[in-house]
Amino acid sequence: MKLTTLALRNIKRNFSKYIMYFFSLSFSVFTVYSFLALMQNEQVVMAFTYDSRYRSMLMSFGIIIMVFVMFFLISSNNSFIKARKKEISTYALFGMTNGKIGKLLFLETMMVGFAALVMGIGAGIFFSKLTAMVLLEISLVAFTGDIAFSIDLKAIYITTIGFLAIFSFMGLSGLGVISRFQLVDLFKGDKLSEGKSEGSIILLIISLLLIGAGYYLAASNDPQRVVMAAIPILVLVIVGTYLFFWGGLPKVLHLIRRNKNNYYKGTNLIATSAFSHRMKSIASVMATIAVLSAVATTAIATGFTLYRNIEKNTYDIIGYDMYFYGGQEDVLEEVYDAFERHNIDLIESYTTDRYQTTPQMETLMVEGHEYLSSHKDYFRVYSQSVYNKLIFLSRSDSEAIQIHPGEGVYIYSFYGPSNISKSIEDAVVGQQLIFSNKEIKITSVLNSSTLSFGALHILVLNDSDFAALLQEGDISNVGESGEPYGQATVFQYKNPLQAHDLNRELDQILRGRVGSYRIAYNHYIESMETFGLVCFIGFFMSGVFMLMTASLLYFKQVMAAEEERHQYKMLRKIGMDSATEKRVIVKRLLPVFLIPLLLGITHSMFAMKAADTMVFSNMIPVDNSYFTVLAFSAVMYSVYGIVYGIFYFITKGQYTRILR
Amino acid sequence: MQILKVENISKTYGIKKSSKQYMALKSISFEVKEGEFIGVMGASGSGKTTLLNILGSIDKPTTGRYIMDGKDVATLSKNQLAEHRINNIGFIFQDYNLLETMTLKENILLPLALKGYKVKTMEEKLFNIVKDLGILKVLDKYPYEVSGGEQQRAAACRALITNPKMILADEPTGNLDSKSGKDLLDLLTFINKQYKATILMVTHDVFAASYCQKILFIRDGEIYNELYAGDSKKKFFDAIIEVMSVLGGEEK
Repeated sequence: MKLTTLALRNIKRNFSKYIMYFFSLSFSVFTVYSFLALMQNEQVVMAFTYDSRYRSMLMSFGIIIMVFVMFFLISSNNSFIKARKKEISTYALFGMTNGKIGKLLFLETMMVGFAALVMGIGAGIFFSKLTAMVLLEISLVAFTGDIAFSIDLKAIYITTIGFLAIFSFMGLSGLGVISRFQLVDLFKGDKLSEGKSEGSIILLIISLLLIGAGYYLAASNDPQRVVMAAIPILVLVIVGTYLFFWGGLPKVLHLIRRNKNNYYKGTNLIATSAFSHRMKSIASVMATIAVLSAVATTAIATGFTLYRNIEKNTYDIIGYDMYFYGGQEDVLEEVYDAFERHNIDLIESYTTDRYQTTPQMETLMVEGHEYLSSHKDYFRVYSQSVYNKLIFLSRSDSEAIQIHPGEGVYIYSFYGPSNISKSIEDAVVGQQLIFSNKEIKITSVLNSSTLSFGALHILVLNDSDFAALLQEGDISNVGESGEPYGQATVFQYKNPLQAHDLNRELDQILRGRVGSYRIAYNHYIESMETFGLVCFIGFFMSGVFMLMTASLLYFKQVMAAEEERHQYKMLRKIGMDSATEKRVIVKRLLPVFLIPLLLGITHSMFAMKAADTMVFSNMIPVDNSYFTVLAFSAVMYSVYGIVYGIFYFITKGQYTRILR
Repeated sequence: MQILKVENISKTYGIKKSSKQYMALKSISFEVKEGEFIGVMGASGSGKTTLLNILGSIDKPTTGRYIMDGKDVATLSKNQLAEHRINNIGFIFQDYNLLETMTLKENILLPLALKGYKVKTMEEKLFNIVKDLGILKVLDKYPYEVSGGEQQRAAACRALITNPKMILADEPTGNLDSKSGKDLLDLLTFINKQYKATILMVTHDVFAASYCQKILFIRDGEIYNELYAGDSKKKFFDAIIEVMSVLGGEEK
């Protein structure tokens, strides 16, 4: 009973230290609960978990969060215990056994933990509707149902059990920390360095080489190589990062200390020496934060870039709001009716014949494979004016073209990696296409699926060439058996991605009755489901990572402040004015926050380069898609930086408050 | 030459005009001349630390004037006070107050670094003082790696390096064994003679006080007595003991 009172009093007395701990604890409970509740939420289950891909994505996300929460809780608990070394040693001095001290700390952990559990689950329930809504909102455009406010007993149960297990584990690991304390440390107190490290130039070089090698591999333009090197890149960069903080950064600080002109400026002297004094104890935390920041920023940047490009990507692939080919005579009227019934403005529709041609030409090889030959392949062929009309109706980025008589533009409709496109261009440009009494030279190559309507190879000709070849019978819209190839009809209408009901009805009209059809809306919805989920997980995860890494830094600094307090007192006595003191504090704290953040973001920039090579370069049809990706990523980096900055200011405020 | 003048300084703690009010200093006045080595003695609670804090401009007097360099220090703002401290006053504390994060050398250079001196000037100044005070060999060590006596000498170097108008020493021998204590007192005497430094030392150690040229005895916040050193150190020592025993005896 007495132990409980003591524990309660300790919590009360250490309230300001506990409050941050308490909040991050509550937040982890909140995260885990919300996540579990989402997994149980009826609407979410209906929307996602029927697909095993999504289910495994959500599951692995859950496991990552759990592991991370555990890591965070144990490490913050241990540094919390260390900060109370004096208090604990005093207990030991007065004859409390380690077991009893452990019990006391365990009681405290349990009390705070229980309160955090209640608070976190409470918040989870309170915001359950919101989290489910956010998830469904960003990933399911078509979702229109009502999301209920829910209390999920199963989630509460699992969260409680899970955290009680973690708390017990924390108690045990705390006991380990206590038994490692030497009573004599109490008398040496803070005088002993926490392990000053002069670093090593070799480690500095090795760490930079490792990170550099990782960057080099990640920056490769060959998607195959990037995929192959993914694991080595991760290992190189992570090992490099840890080595940098363990051995490299201390060396850099040591070098700074050798540059006397700069080092012996008052504020630098105080801040640098204090920072390098704590280097060893904070190196692992900083490295972990750099790595986690890299993961978190890469996750949100990837999610965000994907998410923002879904609409564009949809039109790059589909081209039009809707098109279909074959079966016009059966469905066209019904389609127009549908627009009328749903009161959606049909801006324009256009129907064209699907002409084909098979001119004589050399058999072309691309990368050792037969690519194009006159006896196996055919061209879909358009006149320049029809091409420009179709491009005008499409929502893709393609532009109108102008073709001289005797020349032709070749378009291939599939998407391949960028190095293939170069080979295709090399093979095709300059080729002569031999028709009955005309020759056409291919002068340029484009890549677009906008006009394919089922064909792989597309040819666009000057209007007069087209008319002449049609007359000659080189171009035809009927097959050899006399069966027509059919027509293609494209549509452009208002709010194509929001008109849920119309699109659903169009789907029903067209299904099975036409040669083929694509509706932009369908593709859009499908992409949103995948990428929206990725984006949501990215946000959630980086939120958790950020909050925990930042509060870990907060703990470390606030505890350091307790120990550094008397130093500032002494400095004030020898005549440090308050403006200088402010500068010293900034110089002391800023690197601790800034170095891991900058390193993390640099890592992330290279990760985005790899992601660009693997995914985005196919998705974003611009010459240098990496810059576009970087622009999108920069938005997320800034968001991350701002939130991180807020934590910096909170820490600075608390640090300053302790010193005064 | 007169270096500082204190006129009717009082210091009151607690809420004014309430029963909890406590007067630590009661209108004290005295002068310090350049090159003097003054001791301040008194029992615990007599107000000597309060006096030292006020002289060091760490604390402000409730009433009275404290004139140094023609300026009334008591009226300066907080930042002006910081500047005043760094320019005019050097501190030596009982527990040394060196920063553990820095080597002795960095600790000694700190006040100069805060003033923004050039590296070359700093190192020249450092070399002379350090050589005189005999800690040249341990300069690149950290405080916890050297003895208390060496730490205190480093602290003395730090106090001295800015050429302050006055050095304030608060029980400087309090944490040292008698040998190190004697060494430090010899050192202070040396500094006083060689660098013409004005030193004001608070102590309750009679032996330490016997190194001073003049001693102010404080009792209940007032100056009770003054003693001047004569030719014989022995006589001075005895005289101090006499005053102290009266002081102590009357307290009970």
